[in-house]
Amino acid sequence: MDADCVLLLPGVCQVLLDSGRSLPDDTTLEKLLDWLTGITEADKEGSLLEVHPCLLEFISFVVCKTSSDPSVISFTLKLCGLMGATEDGFKRLQESSVLDLAFSRQHWHEAGLWEDPCIRIGWIQGLRSMLLHSKALSFFVQADLTAQLLQLQTDTSLFVASAANQMLAHILLFFQPVMSAGCNTIGKKHWEDKRTQASIIGPGVTMDTSEDYDAVLAVTSKYLQESLVPKENTQFHQSLQTLKLLGLLLAQARPPLRDQLLQTAADPLEEVVTAGCSQLTLPLMDVVLAAYSSSTGEGVPDQHVARLLSSMLTMSKPADLIQAAAALLSRGHPDSVHAAQAVRILLLPLDLITGQALLGTNTAADKHRFSMVDQLKSKTSCISMICVCLTNTPQISLMPADLLPCPSASIVTAVLSLLRICSGDSSSSPAGCPEVFRNVISSGKVQKSALEALTGLSSSPGVKGMLIEVLAVLIEYLNHPDSDPIVLHKSYQAVVQWLSVCVDLSFTTDKLQQDLVEVVKKRVCDMRWEVRDSTVEFLGKLAGVLVSAKVAPDTSEVLLGGCCSASLLREALQDPESYVRASAISALAQTLAHSWQQGAAPTQQQTDIVSRLLEILSQDTEGFARRAVVQYFIAWFSSRSSSTSRSPSTSTCSTSPLLMNSVSTVLSLGSADLDWEVKVHTLELAELLLDEAFLGHRGYRKGSDTHLALPHPYAVVSDQTCTLHTHNRKRTEGMDSDLAIRLKTLVEQGVFSVLLSGLVDCDRPVSLKACQLLIKFRETVCPVSIEAPEETVAEVSCELPGWGWGQDISKTLGMTMSDQAKVADIAANGAHVFDSEDCKENVNKGGDSVCVRVCEVLRSLGLDAKLDILIQSSDHVHNSPLSLLQDILTAGAAHSHPDTQPGQEVIVDCY
Amino acid sequence: MPEIKVTPLGAGQDVGRSCILVSIGGKNIMLDCGMHMGYNDDRRFPDFSYITQNGRLTDFLDCLIISHFHLDHCGALPYMSEMVGYDGPIYMTHPTKAICPILLEDFRKITVDKKGETNFFTSQMIKDCMKKVIPLNLHQTVQVDDELEIKAYYAGHVLGAAMVHIKVGSESVVYTGDYNMTPDRHLGAAWIDKCRPDILISESTYATTIRDSKRCRERDFLKKVHESIERGGKVLIPVFALGRAQELCILLETFWERMNLKAPIYFSTGLTEKANHYYKLFITWTNQKIRKTFVQRNMFEFKHIKAFDRSYADNPGPMVVFATPGMLHAGQSLQIFKKWAGNEKNMVIMPGYCVQGTIGHKILNGQRKLEMEGRATLDVKLQVEYMSFSAHADAKGIMQLIRMAEPRNMVLVHGEAVKMEFLKGKIEQEFSIDCYMPANGETVTVTTNPSVPVDISLNLLKREMALGGPLPDPKKPHDQILKLVSSEQALKELGLNEHQLRFTCRVQLQDPHSDPDTLHRIYTHLKSVLKGYTIQHLPDGTVMVESIVIKVSSSAEDPNTKVLLLSWSYQDEDLGSFLSTLLKKGLPSGLC
Repeated sequence: MDADCVLLLPGVCQVLLDSGRSLPDDTTLEKLLDWLTGITEADKEGSLLEVHPCLLEFISFVVCKTSSDPSVISFTLKLCGLMGATEDGFKRLQESSVLDLAFSRQHWHEAGLWEDPCIRIGWIQGLRSMLLHSKALSFFVQADLTAQLLQLQTDTSLFVASAANQMLAHILLFFQPVMSAGCNTIGKKHWEDKRTQASIIGPGVTMDTSEDYDAVLAVTSKYLQESLVPKENTQFHQSLQTLKLLGLLLAQARPPLRDQLLQTAADPLEEVVTAGCSQLTLPLMDVVLAAYSSSTGEGVPDQHVARLLSSMLTMSKPADLIQAAAALLSRGHPDSVHAAQAVRILLLPLDLITGQALLGTNTAADKHRFSMVDQLKSKTSCISMICVCLTNTPQISLMPADLLPCPSASIVTAVLSLLRICSGDSSSSPAGCPEVFRNVISSGKVQKSALEALTGLSSSPGVKGMLIEVLAVLIEYLNHPDSDPIVLHKSYQAVVQWLSVCVDLSFTTDKLQQDLVEVVKKRVCDMRWEVRDSTVEFLGKLAGVLVSAKVAPDTSEVLLGGCCSASLLREALQDPESYVRASAISALAQTLAHSWQQGAAPTQQQTDIVSRLLEILSQDTEGFARRAVVQYFIAWFSSRSSSTSRSPSTSTCSTSPLLMNSVSTVLSLGSADLDWEVKVHTLELAELLLDEAFLGHRGYRKGSDTHLALPHPYAVVSDQTCTLHTHNRKRTEGMDSDLAIRLKTLVEQGVFSVLLSGLVDCDRPVSLKACQLLIKFRETVCPVSIEAPEETVAEVSCELPGWGWGQDISKTLGMTMSDQAKVADIAANGAHVFDSEDCKENVNKGGDSVCVRVCEVLRSLGLDAKLDILIQSSDHVHNSPLSLLQDILTAGAAHSHPDTQPGQEVIVDCY
Repeated sequence: MPEIKVTPLGAGQDVGRSCILVSIGGKNIMLDCGMHMGYNDDRRFPDFSYITQNGRLTDFLDCLIISHFHLDHCGALPYMSEMVGYDGPIYMTHPTKAICPILLEDFRKITVDKKGETNFFTSQMIKDCMKKVIPLNLHQTVQVDDELEIKAYYAGHVLGAAMVHIKVGSESVVYTGDYNMTPDRHLGAAWIDKCRPDILISESTYATTIRDSKRCRERDFLKKVHESIERGGKVLIPVFALGRAQELCILLETFWERMNLKAPIYFSTGLTEKANHYYKLFITWTNQKIRKTFVQRNMFEFKHIKAFDRSYADNPGPMVVFATPGMLHAGQSLQIFKKWAGNEKNMVIMPGYCVQGTIGHKILNGQRKLEMEGRATLDVKLQVEYMSFSAHADAKGIMQLIRMAEPRNMVLVHGEAVKMEFLKGKIEQEFSIDCYMPANGETVTVTTNPSVPVDISLNLLKREMALGGPLPDPKKPHDQILKLVSSEQALKELGLNEHQLRFTCRVQLQDPHSDPDTLHRIYTHLKSVLKGYTIQHLPDGTVMVESIVIKVSSSAEDPNTKVLLLSWSYQDEDLGSFLSTLLKKGLPSGLC
């Protein structure tokens, strides 16, 4: 524990004792407990109670003085359990007579606090933390807490009931005995693993533990036996909870425990299965599957369990049956017989509605056929069952052929028929069930599920030949006037997915292509922005799919409608909704990627697009569109670089002045943007320029430098940048000689200014990225290891504006250099000013601007120290334990000396 | 007896992470999906695992309704829809749908600034989630499915905030979200029909407070800003992108105009334009005054408020700056605060609540020495003021709403337990209704009085009338009195299955054709006889006339003797008898 925290801890305990209501906010106690848990876990040997006696005093006091705030009592119970997790701590707590009182339900009941769910949660979680050693188990058994815990299993609070279940499962699993002969090794290993995980438990299982364990098991088993079967309607909750407990136990129980549990629960389970309580189907299936998989783990499945599983798959209510079958597939099919049975059950609704004979002609085996038809006639159950069925079709279609009653193509046909029925066309389903049709017609839920299923089915074996049929239905959906935006979105996703799998476009017909183009043209003008956005995104994704699949350009153009795609996207740049504008920009980048990669000279159309994009970057009020513009140029620049590396002959075309001029403008606009992500993307573009200028030069490392900060989990990383970083361009000779020229070019392009302005930005991701790039820059042109850079390099200068970031940089330079006693060199405005031809003109014009040498700036900014700070989070100081303790103390002080004016009370309201 | 269940997963005896599950008439509805800004891990989001057995929220929930754009009500939405995978309908009003992503982006930025963040959504996820939202109009009944309908009412509080009336059959619940019963500078007061819901779920932030008039708070605010400006100080007001910032801008703009003040007012990160855009777009959601004056002057086109540039912070002289984020977590507001903190002439006004760990929280608690990065210490000399401008109903307002809606039961959420306890007592005393205040995870179960459908014979009805007894009015709900409702609804409410009564009859017919041909002949015959009836020849070998099914089989002894099996429901009893009589007469010759 930090020394400062040690000093503050007694004070904090005092504040908590005085009044819990003065706490900074409702997260404080949880955060405090997180911190203490962390310390306990890190320091396995010592006992916190010994080192910090204030904790024991605090616990004793709160436990005795029941007048504390319930949240503080709850925290104390959790803390008490945490402290008792080590045998030393447990002993101390027992010596202080704290444990009996803390975990006495009677005590809290008498104090009128037991009704508060936070006390019950504290009680359970405290016990849960403590029960990691045999002494704690003995305490638990002696205090007769098992029955009380079982009672809490049906608590009115979901949280309490769930915690009680978890706790019971923990005891029985954690202390479960090791299997004797045969499985001994595995058992021991597992037990040791558990001990290692817990790491703070004392000696292992003793004879005493075994007795205690048996006592807990006996009470729990009796409870399981009595409460599994609901006796009245009102007891569903108890059965449900008991099933959940049994599920938790069976999932991890090893043979002796598992066998005992199964023996105890077998008959009641059978009774529950027979009773067919719909509310219990899923947890029941969980239990049966857990039992089944644990028994098959031993080799031969338990016959009794296998029978139960079979019973589950022959339940009388179709809705339950479907749920059970779906649960079986989603949790991994245990054996081929049951899996095949589940598949038949799941395909039955689809078979019945569409009449596609998915289950073959011999349907006598499906004894649920009639009851299923009956259920399908009810709208609610029809929709729910067909959706479960559809959700599972992609998984079913990928199963081994011998488990399937029909080829995957038939499933696709059935889903297509269903989609047609949903949109009111039942002509393709003459054998279908007309009485059910009305339930699914126009049902958005079924349409969405069916479209998702269709998307998933694209990768099924033997379905590629169905592309035409699939596209026809999807285009129909895209054309349908009543389709809602989500249905359209999912239709687009399905088209892209099918086209990405079936890249051979000869599968499609001219008419289909024409229809697709027409519908896209229509939808891109839809009134709803959601639809326009999905359409524009679709165009981009389609271009991406076709490019990545290396489809011949003319084919892709046909599918995209030739230049129609680009012109539609250009139109979309004017869209009133910023999301659509941003999607259009990204889609344009994907559409033009092919021509960029070819290194073709920009067309007039592309030139127009560039002007429009620069206009968006400078004027658009929304960040999304501006971010997309910078990413567009990143993509273009990257493609150009990659094409140069592949084919040097095209480099002349690709280094078009249009791109280079645009890049300079993007750098200057992007670095002055108000949106932090635009700025980060601008820095990524600057990084590409750095890469290009310095690649091959000694000391220059591309990509993330290992000695620099690890990438932030949410750091904006451009795909294109990553791609570029993987290229191996070979430029080796003669790099040093023209370093100064390249440095000068970078300064002229504005790269250096972008980096400097980013460095002093108020948003951390921006300054972090800029700092990393500047260090890379410095290590290339004037590494700290070299005393002085080459003269030509050292002479290169840049201009610092006399306002904004320029001022901030000047200040930083001034401070650093004065620290180095170079005061004499510093001009009045804080920068190292000198007369340079490079920026003399600008300086004269600008008045306040100053010229500084790039190398000097790079060496004087204190970049390494700044990076150390930046790689910390923005809240690392204020989210520290010390900050938390200080906040508690301050809030406590404010509470005890209220000198605030009336109306100044800070009320937790909203944000 | 039918029940309505209310379970808060968040906002049960606390504020932050509002998320309330309502089960009504077999439908499960989630109300709000907020985040708790005080946590950096999964605890900031509601834990949905408690309510689903198989992890598929879409199977369990019928719809999700978001009351307004504050993050404690919508912050977990992209998490729920894009990460947990909820794919069902999401409802919110048009302004909420438009503004929600801005606030979510705002918070994403703060999160990116932090380290070790996990499980947070991306920009794309925010967009994908918003595309799934179905916008609501005020007072428009939206049919979620055949049984569930919802209707939004104006809630004040922030632009686009709505209360929602949820109805399944004759049972209903009203959820208020956050609301305000008094109009403010830019918004009107909440209003609802006398809809007499079974349960009114109301926020209770200011459950024990009778708030001083907003005018007083505004006067106080302006006085403090003015004093600071007069002594040459700078005033920083940390705000979130949209919401109370706009209200304060109107306030300052009007004051500057009136007092002819010259000190500049700045608003950071281009939000004035954005706010302007949304307030213009949703002018109907603002209050009457703004709507009236809009034609002459748009209140949101500010003359005195200019866009801020970071270099302005160093300018000499007084100024007022609105900067994000609102709790001084990071970014521009924190940068300006660091620059100005050392001067006692300056002032920071915190217009809302700040979570623990933020600089905003520390200075509000009176900390004057703040440890900054690199062990540097910042001396806070500037004046720190807290002025809550959040617009919630106070105790008086909550009582007023109860009077308006006349609920049968009350559930209090979004408030502190002690305060709720006080208000609960008051409500129970004044309105003689049950009031509940469940903690998170606790379920309130309310038994409702279902409408029982009764088919009554005309004679009985006449006799009842003769005795002068009151006849049930289907539009007017009565407790403990029989009501007229549809039989479907009655079956649903009573949890009963409908039984179909069908009549069958066999008719023998001489027809020397194959079975399918005979059936086709029957079809043709009936088509010619029964004009205007729906007659279908189905692929499964049957002919259907309305609900009457006709099947053909040959007699075992004589293939020319056909046995027709007719079956019909009791609704088509007359038609069934007619057909059996008709077919007994045989088929006319000449039929093909």
